[in-house]
Parts: sequence; C-alpha cells; structure tokens
Amino acid sequence: MGIFTKFRKKSPWILHYNTGGCNGCDIEILAALAPKYDIERFGMLNRGNPKQSDILLVTGPVTKRCRDVLRRLYLEMPEPKVVVAMGACAYGGGIFRDFYHVENGVDNIIPVDVWIPGCAPRVEAVIDGMVEAVKIWEKKSKEKEYMRNHSEELLEQLGARNDD
Amino acid sequence: MELYVTLSIVLPWIVAFVIYLVKNDFVTNVLSLLMLPVLAYFAWEIYFSGNLPMLVDTPHWVDYAITIYDFGLLGYFLYQGIKNKSMLVSALAVLQLVLLIIVILMIEHSNTANIYIDKLTAFMYMIVAIVGVPIAIFATKYMEYDEKGKHSFVAILIWFLGVMNFAVSVNNIEWFFALFETTTLASYVLIRFRMDDQAVKNAILALWMNQIGGVAILFALLTFLKTSGLYHFTDLLNTDSKMLSLTALGFLSLSALVKGAQMPFHKWLLGAMVAPTPVSAILHSATMVKIAPYLLLRISPVIKGTLLAKLLIITTGFVFVAAAVIALTQENFKKILAYSTISLLGLMMLAAVVGTPIAITASLLLILFHAFAKGFLFIEAGVLEKVFHVKYIKQMRRLIERAPLTLMFIFFGFLNMTFVPFGTFIGKWIMIEEASGFLSHGSYVLLILYVGAGSAFLSVLYMKVLGISVRKSHGIERVRALPLPLKFNFVSVWYYGWLLFLTVFIAPFIATQIVPIAQELSGQIPNIHADNLSLVINTSTLYFWQILGALVILSLIHALPFFVHFKNVDTARPYNCGEAFPRHIETYNFVCISKYENYLIAFSIALFVMVLVLGGGLL
Amino acid sequence: MKFETLMLLLTLFAPIIGGFVYGVERIVKARMQSRVGPPLMQPFYDFFKLMDKRPLMVHSLHAVMGIMYFIACWFSLLVLFLGNDLLVAVFFHVIAVLALTIGAFSVRSPYSVIGAMRELMHMISYEPLMVLMVVGFYQVVGSFNLKDILNYDGIPLLQLPVVFMAFVLAIPMMLHKSPFDVAEAHQEIIGGPEIEYSGPFYEAVYTGKWIEYVYVFFFVFLFGGSHYWLGALLVLFVFLFVNALDNATARLDFRKMVKFSWFVLIPVSAFNIIFLALWR
Ligand code: SF4
Repeated sequence: MGIFTKFRKKSPWILHYNTGGCNGCDIEILAALAPKYDIERFGMLNRGNPKQSDILLVTGPVTKRCRDVLRRLYLEMPEPKVVVAMGACAYGGGIFRDFYHVENGVDNIIPVDVWIPGCAPRVEAVIDGMVEAVKIWEKKSKEKEYMRNHSEELLEQLGARNDD
Repeated sequence: MELYVTLSIVLPWIVAFVIYLVKNDFVTNVLSLLMLPVLAYFAWEIYFSGNLPMLVDTPHWVDYAITIYDFGLLGYFLYQGIKNKSMLVSALAVLQLVLLIIVILMIEHSNTANIYIDKLTAFMYMIVAIVGVPIAIFATKYMEYDEKGKHSFVAILIWFLGVMNFAVSVNNIEWFFALFETTTLASYVLIRFRMDDQAVKNAILALWMNQIGGVAILFALLTFLKTSGLYHFTDLLNTDSKMLSLTALGFLSLSALVKGAQMPFHKWLLGAMVAPTPVSAILHSATMVKIAPYLLLRISPVIKGTLLAKLLIITTGFVFVAAAVIALTQENFKKILAYSTISLLGLMMLAAVVGTPIAITASLLLILFHAFAKGFLFIEAGVLEKVFHVKYIKQMRRLIERAPLTLMFIFFGFLNMTFVPFGTFIGKWIMIEEASGFLSHGSYVLLILYVGAGSAFLSVLYMKVLGISVRKSHGIERVRALPLPLKFNFVSVWYYGWLLFLTVFIAPFIATQIVPIAQELSGQIPNIHADNLSLVINTSTLYFWQILGALVILSLIHALPFFVHFKNVDTARPYNCGEAFPRHIETYNFVCISKYENYLIAFSIALFVMVLVLGGGLL
Repeated sequence: MKFETLMLLLTLFAPIIGGFVYGVERIVKARMQSRVGPPLMQPFYDFFKLMDKRPLMVHSLHAVMGIMYFIACWFSLLVLFLGNDLLVAVFFHVIAVLALTIGAFSVRSPYSVIGAMRELMHMISYEPLMVLMVVGFYQVVGSFNLKDILNYDGIPLLQLPVVFMAFVLAIPMMLHKSPFDVAEAHQEIIGGPEIEYSGPFYEAVYTGKWIEYVYVFFFVFLFGGSHYWLGALLVLFVFLFVNALDNATARLDFRKMVKFSWFVLIPVSAFNIIFLALWR
C-alpha cells in the first residue's frame, strides 16, 4: 500500500483476450468502448499489450490451442493484476462444455478474480464487473502471482525460461 | 625543416624497403611501431614550425627521375593490362603514354619550386601519421591470422603512406600526376594481394577506373600548358582566376571525382573489400580517397562560385544522398562502410567546392573525423572478421553478448559518423549554416536538402546496423569478453581516445588548428572562434554544456548496457501475442530501394556527364 | 536573464505541461467522437499508477534505453530553449530517436523490431523537413537564434506559409498521429517501439512522448514571431487540426508516408524558400 495505490482505480488498463468463444462477448466489449457507454471516462484503455495492462479480460472457454497462450499472457503481465472472466463459457465452458477441444473455463488455467455472468453479458454487467475488479485490484500487493499448477516443468514447456 | 619534409616523404619508402627485404617478424613489428612516433613528430615539427607555407626547391635530376618513373609506371600498367588481358587497362595506359609524351614536349622550364608545403599539407601529414600508421601496426597482427605474406603486406602499407605524404606535398601538376598514378599502383597491388580470381578482377577494375583519373589530369595539364603555360598549383592560385581555363579545372575535378569513388566510379572502392581488411582501412581513412577532397581544396579558391562549382555541388551532393540510400540495401558490413565512405566523400568534396572559408573548415573537419572514424570502424571490422568470423550484418546478431568490447567500439565509431557533438556533425552543421546565407541560387537550396536528407539516411543506416548487433533475448549477464590481442586493443583504444579527446575539446581545436588552415587556403578569415570550450560560428553558438551533455548521453547509450544491471527486477519474455517464439528475426534490407539502384546510378552518370560537358567546357 | 529563467522553468516543467496537453488531447479526441472522455488529469493518474507496478523488463539494456530516451528528449528540449541555435536542437532530437530505436531493436519481439524500423522511416520523413523549416526561419529572421526569432517584428507565417502548411502536415509524423502513426499503430503492432516497456520503465517512454508534444508545438509557436498571441492562436489551431485529422483519417502505409513527405512536402517547402530568397 504505497502512496500511489489510490491512483490505481483511476487508470485500469485492460488486456482483452478471446480464448475461442463465439465473439458475442467481444462485441459487447466493443460496445462498452463506443460512445454510448464509453469506459474511457473511467480511465480504462484497451491496451492490447500484457506488459502495460492491469486487468486481463478473458472471454471464451479456453480451447486447447489457446491454453499456453493464455498462460504466457498471464505471466507477462506485471503485478498487481486482476483477471476477469466474462461470459458463461469462461465459467466452466458454457455451451462448449465438455467438447473435445476445450479446457472448460478459465479457472482451470489461471486464477480468476471476478466472474461476469451472462451469455453474452450486457454492457452494464461488464462495467459492473470492471468496477468490482478494480476494487479487488486496489487491495492487491505487488507480490508475484502464479498460474494454476505453476511449476518449473510448466515454465520450461511454455518456453518462458530457456533463452537462446 | 626541409629535412623533416624530406624525411616524412622518404622515410616510409626506406622503411618499407627494409621490411620488404629483411622479412623478419621482429623488424617488421618494431619498425611499424616506431613509424608512429617518428612520423607524428615530423608532422608536428612541420606544422608548428611557423614558417609555413614554404616552397622547397628540388635538384634538377629529380625532375628527370620522375619523368622516367612515369614512363616506367605506365609501362607497368600496360604490361599488367596485356598480362591480364584487359583491353581497358592497356588502352588507357597507351593513351596516357601518348598524352604524357605530348605534355613533356610542350612543357617549358619553370622556376617555381616543385615542393610546396603549407598547413594543409602538414595537416595531411598529421592524418597519415596518426590515423594511417596504426593501421600498419594493426596489420602486423592481422596478417598472422591465416594470411600469407605478412611482411610484404606491411611493407606496401607503409610505402603507401610515404606515397601519400609525397602526393600532398607536390606543387608541380606533372609530379602530382606521377604520384596520383603511384597511389593507383599501390591500391592495385594491395587489392589483388590475395591473388585469387575475385581479387585480381577487382584490382583490374580499380586500375582502369583510377587510370581515367590519370587521363583527366593529363588533359587538364595539356589545357593549362596550352592556355597559360602554368603547371604549378601555386602559380594557378596566384593568377587571376578569370585567366584560367575552366576546362582544365573541370578535368582536375573529374580526376578528383574518380579518385574519390564518386558514383559512376564507385565500384572500385567496393571491390577493394576482397582484400585483407587493413587495405580497406587504409584506402578509406588516411590515404587514396582523401586525395580527392585534398585536390579540390587546393583548387577551391579558383573554382569557387563558378558554374563548375555549382555543377560539382549538385553531383557530389547527389552522391552523398544516393550512396547513403544504396547502403541501406547492403548486407555485407564492409560494403556498408564502403558506401558510407563514398557518401561522406561526396559531402567533403561538396564542402570543398563551395569554397567559402567556413565551408573549407567544414571540409577539413570532415576529412579529419571521417579518417579517424573510418579507420576505427574498419579496424573493428577486421577484428570481427578474424576473431569472431562475422562478415555480414545478419551474422552480427547478439554481438553484444559475444563481442561486447568490439561492439562498443563499433557503436562509438558509428556515433562519430553522424551524431551531435562529434566532428562529422559539426561539419554538416556549419555547412548548413553557411549555405543558408546565400540561398539565392537553386543549387544551394539543393545543398541544404542534400545535407539534411543524407545525414538522415546515414543515421538510419547506422541505427539499423547497430540495432541488429544489440538484439538479444535475455539479460547480458553472460557477457563473454573474449581476450583480444594486445595490438588490436592498442589500435582501437588509440582511435577511441583520440576521438573522445578531440570531441571534448572540439571548439578550441577547431578555432586554433583548423581555422588557420582554412584561412590560408581561402585567404579569408572564417568567422569561427572558440569562447572557452564553446564554439561560435557567425552568430550561432554550440555551447560546451550542449557538447558535454550530448557526449554524456551518447556515451551512456553506448557503454551503459555493459555496466548497468537492474537487480530485483523480474524478466519476462518479449511479447509475441503469447505464441511460441521464432528462432530469430531478420532486419529490413530495403528491397524496395534496391529496385531503384540502377536509376540512381544512371542519374549520377547523367550528372557526371553534365559536369564533363558544361563544367569541363567540352561544348 | 529573465528570458533564461523563464525558459529554464519551461524546460523543468515540460513533462507536466506535456502531460496536460496530452490530457486535453484525449478529451478533445473523445468529444470529437461524441464521447465524454477521461478526466483532464488522466495522464498523471496513469503515471502514478505505473509507478506502483512491479518492475518487469526484458533485459537491462532495453530498460536503460527507455530511460535514456526520456533523458535525451528532455535534453533536446533544453537545447531548444536555452541554446541559441535551432538547427542544433533539431539534430539533438536524433539522439532521442537513437535511444528509442536501439532499445526497440534490442529485443526479439517482432512488433518492437518492426516498430523501430518504422520509427526510422518517420525520422527520414520529418528530419529534412525540419532542417528546411529552420533554414526558412533563417531566411526570414536572419539568424538561427531563438531569441531573435521571438523578437522578430514581422510575422514569419506570412513569409513561410507553405513551409508552415508542410510542417503542420508533418506533425502527425512526429507525434505518431493518424494518418502517419505507422510506428505506433496500436491496432497493428501495438505501440511498436514502446511495446516491451512496462511499469516504471514504460513511464519513462510515456513521459518522453509528452515532452515531444512541447518540443513540436513550440516550433509552431515560433511562426508567430514576436506576436505571441498569434503564436498561441496558431498552436491552438494546429492542435485542433491535428486531432481532427487523427480522428478523421485511417493509417497509411509507411511507404506512402515517406513518399508524401519526400515528393510533396519537401519540394513545396523548398520552393517556398527559394522564392523567399529571390524576393529579398
Ligand atoms: S459467453 Fe456466450 S456470448 Fe460470450 S463467448 Fe461464450 S457463447 Fe459467446
């Protein structure tokens, strides 16, 4: 809790990642950026870059192809960071549950702080979820956070350690 | 005083001969090391003797000896042409023989002395001693890495320095022709030193291209003899410039363009890179190509402001930009350096032909700092080639881990070529300042555009090359400083130290050393002086805090990465959309530009012909 | 003495001024899109937030270069304000570009490398134009000195109208605004050279950009000569114009940018200067 902590809520920057959903949620996110809802008035920006983002906004059920990418993106984000899972499929797979190619939700890969319900959630729900996420984020410290089943072998497998 | 001059000229010839004959490691090493203080001392004595400019009379027999030597030289060229089945070389040699005979028949005895030493000459002596000799020292070690013929190679290098010293001190244009051709010979011998097919081919190319310069000098000499009967530089400068034939001056400038590897004739300098690297270093820095700006500086008072000067501005300026643009497309490190030399030679000549005192100062500054920086860079290229086996810029990846010290030197050399407080930048800067004063002619606006654009392109080039060599994936904790041979380090540190020293004290250096030379050359006092360590030009000032600030920032940029390690900071992989990582990334090689390379060359040929026709007065 | 103190203060507070300019810009841009936009202090909130992040870097060289970029930017501003030669200030700016591109080249992220190369293309586009503009000022005022330009009685704008227009069109290249935001290209290469910086290191790059705002708009201000109200008006107009352009246009290819600069902007400015030289 430094002196700058209270400025956190003024500028949460978002990294949005679709892990293989139907795109319905993503369109809602775009609507949130557009003039009617305009989340930039809360200082939120969609950076598209994990290195500079604070909130990881994940949609979709996490297909097997996306799994490692999601892990890497999570690892590349500097702490303090919050994960928001949006939509029904991010929570346990939704309509994709138990398909041969999905991991059944974000929670199996990385720890999630806020869930936004709905398929697709309304924009108001998104904004509400963001406000919730910011509240959690304010309480977090700069401690290192890890993904689920975090281990040296997993890092090795992700190529996050070995350099050439 | 005259003794020093004679020794400066003759000593390298003798030393080279001794090295060539003795062929002993100890002798070669010691003599080449000794040349550095000895030649530097001579140059120092001449420069500060106080009775410059001076004329030195030579005995009569030297005149005859030089004429005979001329014939021998041309005969040798003819022989090489026939032996290597090169029509061009033999034809040009025959043409020169014929012209030379005509000249000798026409020439009348003149009482003007044949050796003329002024501050410019002493300045060139200084460059040869301080920049040229270390290259010979470097070569003594370089040639021990699986090369043959170390002793004769070092001998030729040192002899070349002697030739250069002689060439910049002659007054008689006929003698100048002899020495001009001798430098051609020296470069020919050096380029084909490895004697493989490619080397011989490129050497022949260099030979015939440079012979064109010789032909141009002979034409100039003929015209001078025909119109005024004068054939000494001092006589030419002392007569009314309206009396002089512009045609002859045009031919002289043409020979400078050829020697300076300007665009249609740039291939020979590129070809020189097949030779061992010290050859490139010596051709590009202290000798050979520097004859071109030297010659133009000599005649600049008489061509200043004429149509010829304006045409030359357009041509050389175009080369400055075009060579920089073409350099962007190159992949070979030595070739990149060669193109940037061609480009900067264009700028030097441009400054020389503008001819105002300040422009001449700029030209001298460019000559000096370009010599230092290019010698430095080519030395490092040699180290890269021999120790790290790197020739192409795409092999330079991760050089920062493999060769940190060498990379730091290369970085510094590149910074010297274009960035703010360094000499080359000051040359460009005062060029623009000067040209802004007389913009009413289109060629001067073009000049400013050329300088602005060319320096932007060169900066891009250097940043691109540096960018590849610093690329790496993770921290540089694992720096492996490969121990380099002592001689390599000595030469690198020598250049590094000089460049740093000159840059810090650049203002007093320019005001006390360069300005008098420019004043002597142009006859007017350039409006440049040093206010403590700040440099004042006309009304503008480059403050010392600016010089120091830029120097500090740049030295931090080029040296800091090796010393600063942020502890307690996590490292992460570079962002790649979270995908697995590509093995390596190439860089841009500007294929879109290489399409236009031929157009650029064609345009430069057009400009060259324009100089020939309009400036040379063929019409 | 008073002038120097003022300029020193201006340099010292340049990051703050630039931050405000950036804040205003974000609001103006939002209003042009009929959004509400962030609060005015938003850039500073971002700044403080970044302070609070856990430092993360790719390697030390890269992080150092980010900081050097900031320092070089600030120093070039100091040279512009306190030196007495505009031309030197233009060349000092290249040092900042050097630090940024070397940093961006030093990591193996394709976005960063592409961004660095495009940054160099930006430099090729605006650098010669800046030199020409400064020479144009010399033609009008008769000196490269900043003080002389600020005390010049006439209006440089009237003598250099074409150069002014060319410079206004070159501002998007310098500040990375659409249609010439090829180096930054947020939707395409996600910020280019600045992508790999994070936390406190990103802060340096972020603040460096604010300083560039001050640097660029000060050149616009100079077109008013000693009529400071005109200079201020010009800055306001150019600011709105650049933002409108940013909102109204799509990104162009970098080749188009270089071609536009080299075949349109630079020739017309050169003609302006030639005519000016003949006129006098
Ligand atoms: S939650 Fe519904 S709307 Fe969102 S991605 Fe999944 S299926 Fe599509």
